[in-house]
Formats: sequence, structure tokens, C-alpha cells
Amino acid sequence: MEKQSLSKYLTWLLGAVVGVLVLWRIITVGVAEGYPTSFWISQGINGLVLGGVYALVALGYTLVYGILFMINFAHGEVMMLGGITGFFALQFATAQGWMDGSTTVVVAALLFILVTGMLGSVATGVALERLAYRPLRRAPRLVPLISAIGASLFLQYSVLLIFGVTPHSYRKPDLISGGIRAGNVFIPYTGLIIFLASVLMMLGLYLIIQRTKLGRAMRAVAEDKDTASLMGVNVDGVIVATFVLGSALAGAAGVMLGFHNTVVKFNSGFIPGLKAFTAAVLGGIGNIPGAMFGALILGMIEAMGPSALGIPTQYKDIIAFSVLVLILIFRPSGIFGEILSEKKA
Amino acid sequence: MQRRTALLALLLILAMVLAACPAPAQPAPAPAAQPAVQAPSKEGVEAPSKEGAESEGLKKELGEMTGKVVIAPGQTIRIGGSFALTGPIPDPGKDIRQAAEIAIDDLNAAGGVEGFQFELVAEDGACAGDQGTVVGNKFAADPTIVAVTGGTCSGETIGLMPSLQKARIPFVSPSATNPAITSSDCDICNRVALSDALQGVVDADFVFNDLGKTKVAVMQDSEDYGKGLAQIFQDHFKELGGTVTNSEGIQVGDTDFRAALAKIGANAPELIYFGGFSTEAALIAQQMGETPGLDGSLFMSDDGAYTKQYLDAAGNAAEGTYMSFVAGATNDATLEEFNAKYMDKFGVNPKDLGPFHGQSYDSVMLIATAIKAVAVKNGDNLVIDREELIKAIRNVKGLQGLTGTLSCSEIGECGAGGVQIFTVKDGEFFQVAGFGMQ
Repeated sequence: MEKQSLSKYLTWLLGAVVGVLVLWRIITVGVAEGYPTSFWISQGINGLVLGGVYALVALGYTLVYGILFMINFAHGEVMMLGGITGFFALQFATAQGWMDGSTTVVVAALLFILVTGMLGSVATGVALERLAYRPLRRAPRLVPLISAIGASLFLQYSVLLIFGVTPHSYRKPDLISGGIRAGNVFIPYTGLIIFLASVLMMLGLYLIIQRTKLGRAMRAVAEDKDTASLMGVNVDGVIVATFVLGSALAGAAGVMLGFHNTVVKFNSGFIPGLKAFTAAVLGGIGNIPGAMFGALILGMIEAMGPSALGIPTQYKDIIAFSVLVLILIFRPSGIFGEILSEKKA
Repeated sequence: MQRRTALLALLLILAMVLAACPAPAQPAPAPAAQPAVQAPSKEGVEAPSKEGAESEGLKKELGEMTGKVVIAPGQTIRIGGSFALTGPIPDPGKDIRQAAEIAIDDLNAAGGVEGFQFELVAEDGACAGDQGTVVGNKFAADPTIVAVTGGTCSGETIGLMPSLQKARIPFVSPSATNPAITSSDCDICNRVALSDALQGVVDADFVFNDLGKTKVAVMQDSEDYGKGLAQIFQDHFKELGGTVTNSEGIQVGDTDFRAALAKIGANAPELIYFGGFSTEAALIAQQMGETPGLDGSLFMSDDGAYTKQYLDAAGNAAEGTYMSFVAGATNDATLEEFNAKYMDKFGVNPKDLGPFHGQSYDSVMLIATAIKAVAVKNGDNLVIDREELIKAIRNVKGLQGLTGTLSCSEIGECGAGGVQIFTVKDGEFFQVAGFGMQ
């Protein structure tokens, strides 16, 4: 007991030293570089947009974890398939001439593309659940995890073989190219849409979970599958609904990211998927508001971190994943995470 | 708990190193000379297992055999090909492969060598160093491979080098431009493309003298090719008296460069020079327009981005950007004949896929010319001496190819022509300058 507390004390002491050194580095770099405020605002906006995308994907991880206690590592690919489906919907809409029509037509076309992309993701997510996870529901917990990684690779390379390796380029309609310029700050319309849409969708999801019968069923299944089943909840149905919700959000993220960054290819879901997973852990996996805040914090860290620490921006992934390591050391349950009950841990 | 403390100690050390760096933190630039020529990995691994397996007598026999390729009647002269069929530039890779197939068809239609036909053994080098090593090992382990055309990218080619060097299989790359690929240390390394030592210098001259820009930022994709080229550009630009405000690296496959661009935009350079491939170049060109401080800046990139895919992906953002290309002097009449054959066989205009088809065709032709010079009939068999073939490639002089007159130097630079610079207008490339063209 004595040794345990000493070691804990040491851990926190070392953590504090790391924190102080990082802070010192940020201050010295800040003084030396002297970036203007507008620069930090621009980076902050980049961070919020990234965070919005991560949040939509992170919710999928968190929802599935909350109910099945497994990490769906193929979720990044679910998002990528949303982007790919959206790309073909965009091709179709362009061929119909919708993208050059009046504002109403273009908005309708964009919604059509968004919904098609979401449907593409939902189909993928449901198929994953049915084929890769349901047969393994009673298996040890490592087994569905491995199945998820296999599914991730399977989806990536299927897309590679079917749609080719050449990146698919989204062409933005004029309506959403450009952005708002205020002094030295520029907000791209696509970025604005991503942020607003992700906030709206997260609100909607929160309402579904807290206020509807389905939401209550989901919470019941998360609490205890067997008891919920005894109370007349259709557990399989609830799990499928969870995958549908998570995949739809990921599909929306895939399509919006496609318009924002204009390119989608077979592996474009992999890194965002890992980042979203990091965000979910950061916020406390299984916790829905946690995933949203974790994602926004991670996006900000990623956008501002390299400049603040004075290191090349290509190392932004290292910063993001270092945050994951630090969180796992100091607060394994995440920022918003509750202390896991015996059953979940 | 023990492990946790150890991990923390490690993090602490990391943080200290980070904090101890000088504050302005210009990222330490990679040394100008490329040190990573000999990728070391496989060298030591293969030799012992091979030697251990064979008995003494067999080994002796094998030693005599490996010096020569013996092709029995009915068999083909097998030329390996390492092409970037996946990875960041799949379209140019496919173009290079298809042009090589046309060259093989032409050679076979002309009767091959002493009645022996050629065969192309295509592998995917994926434009990456690790995959290049895999392909190199595969070819090195195949005693029927006579020579190799490829790789497509510099990193991939550097990955090919060690195992091919060991197996004494010469290669000619149609498109790898990193200066480190040819040197007096490597007798099997040859290329038809021109070295970036030329391209980087010409590009810097063009920006400084012709465009009159003195304040630029340099970006590169952290690959052998892009990083090497960007470094040459940067060094020469500083020598000319220009200022390089930022030198930022990015990762191939990343799609959001806004954070890096915002950092560059804070210094408002007049031009961004990017060493890398078309996908990333197109994204940078687009996202520059969304970055305060960069909306009036020009963008210039290189032969890795001189593709139709760049034009398609960047759309309007491509207008007014510059690209350089290490071009051969094109011979219009023969090129048209080639284009017709290509269209006929693959149903696509080579220009729509990539720029290096001429170099690829010439690369195969160069190899075939050297093979014809050294192959001898021994009974019914065709025998090619590996060492003689390596020398014969360097001895090719005055070969008329699609890209001009090819003559190999003593370090394996066989390319013709010079550097062309293009600008984009109405979705098409237009040449604005040419340097060192025949």
C-alpha cells in the first residue's frame, strides 16, 4: 500500500515536470516567433473544423463502445466509404447539371449527395455488424477487435481494387467555394458548414439518446444486455440501430471532408479514424459529450500545437498521439469519463 | 507502476530535449547531400542463407552460372520493371508501364535478339522505398531477370539499388530524378531522366530571375524525391541572394495542409515552391487560396506534379501555377507513331496519364541495345554476361530515342534534353521557358 502511493506520487510529480517544461517551451517559442493574434485565430478555426470532423467519427467509436465494449477499428473505413459514395453521387449530380443550377437546386443536390454518402456508410456499418461482429458477440473481447482490424484492411483494399488507386477529386460548386474574409482571418464556407453541421448532428444525437424510446433502449442495453433483453428490449435491433447512427454520422463526416479537402481515396479514412479514436479516448470512451469535447480539443491541439511548440507541422500526428499516451497514463478514463464499473473495465 | 514510471521518465527526457532546442526552431534542415544512398537493410541478410544452403561444389557451379544468364530456346529475355502502380502517382506509373510494354512489342516485332523475344516482368514499386526494396529482392532472387527498367520514383529506386547491385542486375530508371541515384559508387545505376541537381537549379533561377521573386517558402513531402529537390532549390535560391522564409515538410497522403500554410502565410512569401507529387501539389494550390497572406502568392512545383491529375484535382486553383519538367527533346514524327500505337493498344492518350512515357520507352530501348551488343549464341542458347551488360549500358552512345539522342555518361546519366517550365492556362499546360534543350 505504501509503495503504491509513493509511485503514484512520483508519477504525478513527473507529470507536473513534463507539463512545466512544455509550458516553458510554448512561452519561449511564443516570444521568439511573435505570431500575430490573427494567426492564432486562423489556426483555431482550422482546429475547430478538424475537431468537428473528428467528433462525428469519434461518436461512432463511443456509441459502439458504450454498447458492445469493443473498439470498431473499421469505423474510419466506414467514413471513407461515405466519402466514396458521396463522390459518385456528386458525379451523378454533376452529370445531371444540378451543380450549375440555381442556389436551391445546388443546395438540394448537396443534400442529396450528403444523404447518399450517409446511406453508403450506413450500409457498410450494418454489414460490418452483421458479418464481422455479431457472430463473435460471445467470443473473448480480443476476438472482435482482431475482426475489426481485418475488416478495416478488407474494406480499404476492396476499395483500392474496385475504384482504383487514383485519388477521387471532389469538385466544389461555386456556392460553397471561397469563404468569409475578415481582416487576416479566412473562414472557408466548407469549414463553416462542417462545424455547424457537426454541432447540429451532435445535438440531434444527444436528443435521440436522451429523449426517445430508442435512446432509452440503447442506454438500457449499454447498462446490461441480458437484463435489457429480459425487460423486452430487442438487443440485436438496438445494436443495429447504434451502428446505423454511428455510421450515418461518419458518412456525413466523409462527404463533408471530401468537399473540404477535395480528395478521397481508399486509405483516406485510416488516419482520421485513428485520430477520432484518440479523441474518443481523450474525452472518455463511451461518453457522448466527452467524444465531442475530446474531438474539438484534439483538433485544436493538432492545429496549434506545432506552431506553439515551434516544431515542423508534419509532426502534428506525433503531438496528437502523444496526447493519447499522456491521457492513458494520467487519466485512463478520459476527461469526462466516469470510473468504469467492474463490468465495463 | 514500475512501467508507468519508466514511461514517464522517457517522456520527461523527450520534453527536456524539446525544451532545450533553440527557441526560434527553424526545423533542422536535412544535410544537402543525400546520405541515404545505400539502404542497408537487406545486404547482410541474404548472403549467409544462400551460402549456407549450397554445398561447395554447387556453389562453385552457381558462381559461374550467376555471372551469365543462359536462355534456352523458347524462353524469353526477361526484363524486370518496377513501376509506381499504387502509391501517390498511380497514373504516371501506369503510363510508364504501358510505354515499356509498347517498347517490348516493338522490339519483338523487329525480331528480338537472334530470334529470342523480350518479356516484361512488371512489379509494383508503389513509389516507396520499402516497396522498392521488396521488388529489388524479388528480382535479385530471380536468375532469369537480365536487367530492370525503373523505378518510377526516387525513393523506390533507392530501395531497389542494394539488392540489384549485389545480384549484378543493371537498371535504367525512366523517371527517378534524385541526384544520389547515379554516382561513381554504383556501376549498375542508370537513368534516362535528368537529375534534380539540374532541375532544382533551373527552377531557382527561373523564380529569381524570370519571375523576379526574391522571397519564397519551400515545402516538400518528406520523400527522397521531393525533399532532395526542395533542398537543391532552396540552396541555390539562397546562393542567388533570395530569402527562404519557411521550409515546411508535409506527409504524403495527408489532405489538410492549412496549419502548415497558415504558418507560412504569417511570413507572406511571394511564391511557394513544392517538391513532391501531384495529389499534394493540387491540395496545396487549392488551400493556398484560403490562407491569408498567401492568396496573392504564386505556386510552383516539379515533374512529380506535372500531370493531368494535377490539373483535374486543382481545378481553378491550378491557373497561373508553374511546373517544371525534366523533358527530352521530343522528336515529333516518332512520337506521333508511338502515340498512335499507344492509343491503339490501351485506348488512352499517354499524355492523359503522365509525362514520362517517352523516357520509359527509351529506357527499355536502351537496355535492349546493350543486350544486343553483348548477347552471344552458344549452341542453341542465348548467353548474356552480366558484367559485360553492365558495361555495355554505359557504352551506349548516340541512341536515337523518343526523347532525343541518348548517350550514357560514366556514372549512368543517359538522358537527353533539359528542363522545361510550364504554366497553367485554361486548364492546359503551356511552356514558358526551356533550359538546356537540344
